[in-house]
Amino acid sequence: MDGQLDLSMRGRRSGPISVSDLVRMVRDALDANLGEHWVVGEISNARLAPSNHFYFTLKDSRSAINVVMFKSAFNRMRFKAVDGMEVIVRGRVQIFEQRGALQLYAEEMEPRGVGALQVAFEQLKRRLEAEGLFDRARKRAMPYLPRRIGIVTARGGAGLRDMLRILFDRFPNLHVIFRPAKVQGDGSAQEIADAIADLNRDGRAEVLIVGRGGGSLEDLWAFNEEIVARAIFRSAIPVISAVGHEVDYTIADFVADVRAPTPTAAAQMVVPSLVELTERVASLGASLASVMQRELSGRRESIDDLAARIRHPGVAIAGARERVAEIEGELADAVSSRIAERRRSVRELRLRLRSPDAMVREMRLATSRLGNSLVHGTRSALEGMRRRLGALAGRLDALSPLKVLDRGYAVVINKTDSRAVLDAATVKLGDELDIRLARGRLGARAIGRTI
Amino acid sequence: MVTKTKKFEDELKDLETIVNQIDSGELTLEESIGAFERGVMLVKALNGKLDEVERKVELLTRSAGGELRTAPFEASPDDKHHAGAKDDDETPF
Repeated sequence: MDGQLDLSMRGRRSGPISVSDLVRMVRDALDANLGEHWVVGEISNARLAPSNHFYFTLKDSRSAINVVMFKSAFNRMRFKAVDGMEVIVRGRVQIFEQRGALQLYAEEMEPRGVGALQVAFEQLKRRLEAEGLFDRARKRAMPYLPRRIGIVTARGGAGLRDMLRILFDRFPNLHVIFRPAKVQGDGSAQEIADAIADLNRDGRAEVLIVGRGGGSLEDLWAFNEEIVARAIFRSAIPVISAVGHEVDYTIADFVADVRAPTPTAAAQMVVPSLVELTERVASLGASLASVMQRELSGRRESIDDLAARIRHPGVAIAGARERVAEIEGELADAVSSRIAERRRSVRELRLRLRSPDAMVREMRLATSRLGNSLVHGTRSALEGMRRRLGALAGRLDALSPLKVLDRGYAVVINKTDSRAVLDAATVKLGDELDIRLARGRLGARAIGRTI
Repeated sequence: MVTKTKKFEDELKDLETIVNQIDSGELTLEESIGAFERGVMLVKALNGKLDEVERKVELLTRSAGGELRTAPFEASPDDKHHAGAKDDDETPF
């Protein structure tokens, strides 16, 4: 490559090249030789431009490079990037032509801590996903009652111990085919992949559990390796991944047909409980017996019913005769009781009828009685009235103006209007007056007046 | 008829169906008796399936020549100190 570059330079030796040409050559060289990279470094000079593009310098102990993260990528970031933070940046190095400066154009950034493993994880995950290894459509159904279970895990690990305990607790008569594999450290991924392949070659297991107990991300790394993912993918036997890492998923989890959060959980989900199944079968057997019994006793009852209704014709005729006689009797009884009833009502009605003579006699008696009491009553009423009248007259007498006349007073009446004169002003000179005395009256004429 | 190849869960479903059919009273007496007999056989078959497999743990290994070998694996769930632990990591996880 150096040689090629020399040749091209020699070709241009005739004259100097422009800055633009030089910068463009650098750009082309970068494009041709530097793809996308994950770069680890520390953030400094971080600043967010008003345009929302994010600018900073990424540096380590020896070098630094300017980084631009455009708005769209910056907005996707789930953490806040600040000066001093260790980060991993995914991006492409390009030359900013106006200034001839190198810049890293960042597409994505993650806080360091999670480290390079995380980066590798993400890369592999994206690749396998794109290839279709995680497709839901290809996930196989778990057998309902697997009797032969293949296990891939470390010999002597807690994972194996837990799984065997749970499996045999739930279902004591299982056949476990254990294919030990190193589950962490160098070569572990290859061992796991080989183990899966071996169990497939053996072919007796109906389901495989591939896993290990919990550990750090590094400890679990084998389950994030591509060869393990591909071995799971290739397995003709359904696979349950059982990596003891509750929170995060491993690549194996994504490829497996079923993901269990721990080996224990895998053992619990892979077989149903024998006790429960036995109870289920027993209770179904009991129901079967009881519904059959009910069915039979129902039929027996209807047979007994029918049998009870079957009779000899002679018996039936005798019965019918009896019934006829019974009805005749009932009919006669009904007729005679009806007649008796009619007789009773006739008697009652007759009693209620009376002769007109008696009625007339009775009425006369009543009339004379009423006449007597009328005469009597009228008389006593008159006497009462008289008494009341006498009393009222006495009271009236006491109030009479004539009593005043007895004491020498007189009443003067103006003849023109027949009113008693109370005021001299109402009398005109010459008016005729009538003067009433205690006894008799006098005629007079007004001849003088004083008001 | 119950066949050997039928799956446990399918037989369980068949048994449920039979119980429901007899219970519904829709069957003739002959059909009920036939269904009942099938049900009894299913119960037997299901119980048989639950007892079918012998409990064992087998160790599967591969020889240098690539041959698969099986051997009884003596690890009771409570016993972690089995004879075979040698080349693998001893980390307790």
